[in-house]
Amino acid sequence: MTHPPGASGGAHPFLPVSALLGGALAMVVGSAWLLADPATLTSYLGAPTAVALTHLFTLLCVTLVYVGTLQQLPAVLLVTDLAWTRLGFVALPLLVVGGAALVHGFAAGFRPGALAAGGLAVTVSLALVAAQTLRTARRSPPRDAASRGLVTAVCYLALTVAFGTLLAGARSSPALASSVGYAPALHQTTGLIGAFLLGIAASGHKLLAMFALSKGGSAWRVTAIAWLVHACVAASLAAALAPVVGWPPAAARAAYAVATVALCAAGALQVVEVGALLKRRLRKRLEAPVQRYVLAHAFLPYAGVLLASGHGEAAVVAALLGFVGLAVSGMLVKILSFLTWTAAFGSAPRRAAPPPLLRELARPRLEPVITVGLATGAVLAPLAVVTLSTPVAALAGAALLAGAGAQLWQAVTVVWRALGPDPGRPLEAVTTR
Amino acid sequence: MTTTVELVERDAAVPAAEALRTLQEVLDPELGVDVVNLGLVYAVTVEGAAVCVRMTLTTPGCPLHASIEEQVRGALSRLPGVDHAAVELVWDPPWTPMAMTAEGKRQLGFL
Repeated sequence: MTHPPGASGGAHPFLPVSALLGGALAMVVGSAWLLADPATLTSYLGAPTAVALTHLFTLLCVTLVYVGTLQQLPAVLLVTDLAWTRLGFVALPLLVVGGAALVHGFAAGFRPGALAAGGLAVTVSLALVAAQTLRTARRSPPRDAASRGLVTAVCYLALTVAFGTLLAGARSSPALASSVGYAPALHQTTGLIGAFLLGIAASGHKLLAMFALSKGGSAWRVTAIAWLVHACVAASLAAALAPVVGWPPAAARAAYAVATVALCAAGALQVVEVGALLKRRLRKRLEAPVQRYVLAHAFLPYAGVLLASGHGEAAVVAALLGFVGLAVSGMLVKILSFLTWTAAFGSAPRRAAPPPLLRELARPRLEPVITVGLATGAVLAPLAVVTLSTPVAALAGAALLAGAGAQLWQAVTVVWRALGPDPGRPLEAVTTR
Repeated sequence: MTTTVELVERDAAVPAAEALRTLQEVLDPELGVDVVNLGLVYAVTVEGAAVCVRMTLTTPGCPLHASIEEQVRGALSRLPGVDHAAVELVWDPPWTPMAMTAEGKRQLGFL
């Protein structure tokens, strides 16, 4: 047997599998929290509970899944072995412990000790992951826009936490605030746009083409999205620094306007790119998790409409829960199937029976519950923010909990089906094609 | 364009065409279509009792490569007269969905 070097050289599957399961569990906890305390969405979104809930979702759900995936995806996209394959055994626990400390610190009323410890742990964790990704990219430099975009997005992820730590420091130290400013918008923009939008656009360009058997989208669009993201973050940085360096308020407003235009253009291009990939696909009926990934992009125009109508906070909720949440959920089930299948059957000795197909690892009947639950929750949550309606927020929490619960069940099913005591045993008839 | 498979025989213990037919037992676990009808097989060379298959995967770095290679070697080894089976994995030319045969497209519901 001969094959090109590094055909697939990710970390031990335990790392990404446990991260993806942890992310699914965090989504359940966050949804239950929202259902138990729906006023979180209808009161001031800078309040401790709202900030804690946001960080539970962004750090312990989205980022955990993201970082878990990064223990395999760079090796696939860059076609090389992952650098420091055991680094995840340090980075992932640090992220979980640090993220939990941050959520606790926020929920307890911005407790400085927990925030400092958690912020430090998460910063170190994501710095390690960024270093790992950059080192991997150095071994095999990215040759296409999608791979370059993914590497850049990982750097933005680390930068987001650095900005967040600065933000926390500025909150408790007037001296620091006067020297670096206090700019939550910069932290949010770097995370939501730099890390999540660019990461989804870059990895999705490859993964959607692969799962939909598409003849491919346009690399120039992915490159343009990356440059628009850079422009958005740079303009947000300028807007944040304007008061510190003494620029007139008009300059800050102009920078903010540039950031908004770049953000909207990047989102619109991503929608066009996904549309182009789908238009050129050969696989007419997409699998349910891939449909969910595609559906996520409907939340970009939804967020755009909310932003244009002056509901910036609701737009952020729509983008986070709808776009990021559904995209991550779709890829979570697909990637978990790949990871567990590979671990169970990839290099096993010859078997009497052929291994199952990947789609046979999941329960098809859970997929509509996941999609409808998460999508309904993501539609209702921004509406609750706009209308200040606690019942709508409770409904959003209930829908999200139903979707997240089904997602966790699906994730556990996939893992159990592949890695349990009787791997490959059929669950039920599968007709997905 | 559908992939054309190169068949080479030198004092072959089994016909290369038969080895190719055997590879239709090997399914891509993601798509559920065999590797021949997916257009992943580029060449089958039979020299005496040794069979070598030059093939690709749907994407470079495909995490399923080890299993697919193992299944290909296993299927070939079960052929009577074959005592050595090898897989050469290549990325050039890269696979595209257009490499699938009409049967592969039919199985995936494209036709």
